[in-house]
Amino acid sequence: MVNGELLMIKSLKQWFSRNQKVTDNGHYRYGNEHLIELRKVVKIYEGAAGKFPALKGIDLQVDTGEFVAVIGKSGSGKSTLINMITGIDRPTSGEVLVGDTAVHTLNEGQIAEWRGRNVGVVFQFFQLLPTLTLLENVMLPMDFCNMYRMREREERAMHLLELVGLADHAHKLPTAVSGGQQQRAAIARAMANDPPIIVADEPTGNLDSATSESIFSLFEDLVRRGKTILMVTHDLDLARRASRTILLVDGEVVDQLTADEAHARLMAEEASHAH
Amino acid sequence: MRIRPRWKKVWRDLWLNKSRTLVVVLSIAVGVFAIGMIMTSYTILSGDLRTAYLATNPAHATIFTFDSFGEELVTAIERMPEVKEAEARRRVLLRAVTGPEDTRLLWAVALPDYDDIKIDKIRPLEGDWPPPEHEILVERSALGLLKAQVGDVLPVKLPDGKIRQMRIAGLVHDLNAAMFVFDGVSYGFIHTDTLEWLDQSRDFNELRFVVEGENPSRDYIQQVANKVRDKVERGGHSVYFTFVPEPGKHLFLDPILVSISVIMGAMGAMALVLSGFLVVNTVAALLAQQTRQIGMMKAVGARTRQVMELYLATVVLYGLLALLIAVPLGAVTAFYFSRFIAGLLNFDVTSYRLPPNVLATEILVGVLVPVVAALGPIFAGTRVTVREAISAYGLGKGRFGTSMIDRFLLVIQHSAALRRRLSRPLLLSLRNTFRRKLRLTLTLLTLVLGGAIFITVFSVRASMMGTLRSWLDYFQYDVAVQFERDYRVERILQETMKIPGIDTAEVWGFYNTRRERPDGSHSDNIMLFAPPPNTKLVKPTIIKGRWLLPEDEAAVVVNSIVLRDEPDLDVGQQIVLKIEGKERPFTIVGVATGGMPMGTIFANYPYFARVSHNVGRGQYVFATTKIHTLAFQSEIVRALEEHFEYIGMDVAATAKVEEEMGEVEALFQVVIVLLLLMAVLLAVIGGLGLMGTMSINVLERTREIGVMRAIGASNRAVRRVFIVEGIIIGVLSWLAGAVLAFPLSYYLSDVIGKQFLNAPLDHTFSLPGVVIWLAVVIVLSAVASFLPAWNASRLTVREVLAYE
Repeated sequence: MVNGELLMIKSLKQWFSRNQKVTDNGHYRYGNEHLIELRKVVKIYEGAAGKFPALKGIDLQVDTGEFVAVIGKSGSGKSTLINMITGIDRPTSGEVLVGDTAVHTLNEGQIAEWRGRNVGVVFQFFQLLPTLTLLENVMLPMDFCNMYRMREREERAMHLLELVGLADHAHKLPTAVSGGQQQRAAIARAMANDPPIIVADEPTGNLDSATSESIFSLFEDLVRRGKTILMVTHDLDLARRASRTILLVDGEVVDQLTADEAHARLMAEEASHAH
Repeated sequence: MRIRPRWKKVWRDLWLNKSRTLVVVLSIAVGVFAIGMIMTSYTILSGDLRTAYLATNPAHATIFTFDSFGEELVTAIERMPEVKEAEARRRVLLRAVTGPEDTRLLWAVALPDYDDIKIDKIRPLEGDWPPPEHEILVERSALGLLKAQVGDVLPVKLPDGKIRQMRIAGLVHDLNAAMFVFDGVSYGFIHTDTLEWLDQSRDFNELRFVVEGENPSRDYIQQVANKVRDKVERGGHSVYFTFVPEPGKHLFLDPILVSISVIMGAMGAMALVLSGFLVVNTVAALLAQQTRQIGMMKAVGARTRQVMELYLATVVLYGLLALLIAVPLGAVTAFYFSRFIAGLLNFDVTSYRLPPNVLATEILVGVLVPVVAALGPIFAGTRVTVREAISAYGLGKGRFGTSMIDRFLLVIQHSAALRRRLSRPLLLSLRNTFRRKLRLTLTLLTLVLGGAIFITVFSVRASMMGTLRSWLDYFQYDVAVQFERDYRVERILQETMKIPGIDTAEVWGFYNTRRERPDGSHSDNIMLFAPPPNTKLVKPTIIKGRWLLPEDEAAVVVNSIVLRDEPDLDVGQQIVLKIEGKERPFTIVGVATGGMPMGTIFANYPYFARVSHNVGRGQYVFATTKIHTLAFQSEIVRALEEHFEYIGMDVAATAKVEEEMGEVEALFQVVIVLLLLMAVLLAVIGGLGLMGTMSINVLERTREIGVMRAIGASNRAVRRVFIVEGIIIGVLSWLAGAVLAFPLSYYLSDVIGKQFLNAPLDHTFSLPGVVIWLAVVIVLSAVASFLPAWNASRLTVREVLAYE
């Protein structure tokens, strides 16, 4: 066990060095002081039933090395919020600044490349490509973003799988391993290009509590190594362990609270709805 | 070598989805196969035919004479500066006895020197060479007609009824014999010394020559031929026919090969287009199925261009795999197909090769067509955003209920009468059919075209047979006899009517003539028929003017082809015909249509007999019989032959309408078989398309199947929903196909008629074809949707819930 931990720490030092740095004057390129800054972000969806505002002028700042949990009820805008940060979705108005990049100004192609290099994304349903082995799934982002030398990629992917405890399963197809193992492989994939930011949308939503715990520990380790993590979760116990919790209610950030405060507010709101 | 994971994904997607890969690969392969097979066959056939034909040193022109001429005329012709070489032959028409009650026309050709044949060379294959005296070398394709083997003794009937026993001494191949064999006339070569034994003159009646100069044009050859003809006529001989084929091209086989390649080329192109549709369908479905994967690749950094490259590479791989199947299969099939066609047309395929241009075309077609077809779906499918990709959820896709068709379906289904009759699963199948309208359209297009062509083939066949029948009906005789020489008309009629079973008989004049134009040039050959006034054995449709009156003298009715070829002529004008060496003016009194697709003129027999110095005499008798079957016609012909022989009237040839019909039908059968082959190919593509569509539908509705299962649907019920959907698609395609077949069969009848018969076919729409295709398409649909339906019924609720 001790050996395993040593190996993991060594690996982390060796492989996780890409942290976003501020410029000399303490500001990023667009004058943002924080690694992630959302300025008056509005997102309105238009459907057959009319316009639906998912985000109503969100202002949010996240600094390097923070572990932020985003909580809220279904439909409160949690996923929409993190989709703004990953560039998966675009704001109707407002600005999304991540490091030196104004994400809202990029086109689809630029966003894909930027995301591949700078943001690791983890989804609830793992979303591994079913015809590639775990190792190949982890290598895929390096391949698409042309990161690292060809021969380095496999070595790096293998180290990442070792880090998440899946070295023995590296050559298996996703269907041959459990849900928890698939999610760990998805986290390894998210870290493939050593992005400074990792965004996870309910990464434990489909896992049992023991597996959820191991996944969460993995995130905590990454934070200790200087990564910034945003995680949407329903699990308030896990949210409590984050450094900060953001509660979203009907597309608005109610407050940036400690986990216990957020928990209490969420409970209170649910109780008022029930009455 | 390190392979990038994205390319591994391409390969594994192909490998792990074997049935889908197989369907797409086969779809492309069918199109490539059709193109490759047709191109290779045509290259081989036309190349080998040309080589073989040129090796025979083909005559540039042939002059047939009524009377005989000697070697000195051949020498004189050869001395003409325009003539490179000339050679003469004697061709005699005999009747070979092929059975106790059956005879077969036999052309026996005598060549002056078998060791030095200069023009239209023949090739010894087996047995003796040159033909021994009183024996015959039979052209290989005629052996079957004669029902004999080499070494057999063949009884040959002379015009006076005498029988000569000729041994078949060997086999030869004469590339020019094909046209006779298709007419059902057998063909052989004899020694000149044998002629006298057959009561024939040793002199010649056919002059063949080659003109001087490299690659002379047909016009030039025609000019030389006219000069040669004039010289022959000045020598006191009567020219029956001058024949100038297109130089370097086989008169009979080249047009057949071109026709075959035109028809099959069109079908091949259609097969290719249809396989293109299948690719569109399958690739669109593949992308729809992989939407989440596309989104995920984009989420980890893939740009749209990179994703497009992946799917284009997939399609290129499909194409390459299809080439692996289609190229060798096309080459092997082309080999057997070429041999089959060459055998049918009586020439040999001597070389076998896969021409580089064909291979290049196959590669181009096999890769380019699928890529072009897939560009649209790939472009549309890979532009999906990550958000759209990961938010796709719920029960299946495809909207139902919004379009006009959907509303129409809902209205008819809600009608009280139908609701009682239609089961819920059947209603589900009916609605499912219209959920993915673009996919349904492409699937339908494939099946509709396949069906339309299938029905068209049947219609073209019916049109061919109808046209032939109308030609033969035009002349309403059952049997005909040609005598060796002229006999008195009264005697011919009297003796003919003595045979029980003969209904009516007429003696006709017949002459192969040509129009002498005012500028001194002359037309192509025109057939002049001279029936007696008030004939009952010809029924032309008059489109202008009138039919012949009994009192008409120098009057003729021409058919529309004469007017087409000689556009300055019309009713009321004069036409000058050359008869027995003299120019005879006639007035055109009417224009007729129908009959054979060649220039034909009708004149009254008494006047024709006068100008041809043959008053009261005739050589051809046409008769109707009381029963019109081939068996009865054969019986009558045999009775006529025996009777004429008994009374000493020499018979040269006999004909039975039903037999002639059968022989012409056999020629068309080749085309029909080819067309049917292509129709089957197209039906297979249609089936593959439907199978692909149904597989995709099953995949896409996996969750729905789970829901159906969860609420108690049995295996059989799940299967039935999909099979019924397949059959609904099949029946819809049948309806549209039958409608489309109507104009298509018109067009194809026109094209084929013009290619083969120089005239459009009388169009007949084949209802049996429509019914047969309905049966075929129902079976095809059921079979094509069975496998996907079976797969659907094997899905368990657990598997379905795990589907993501």
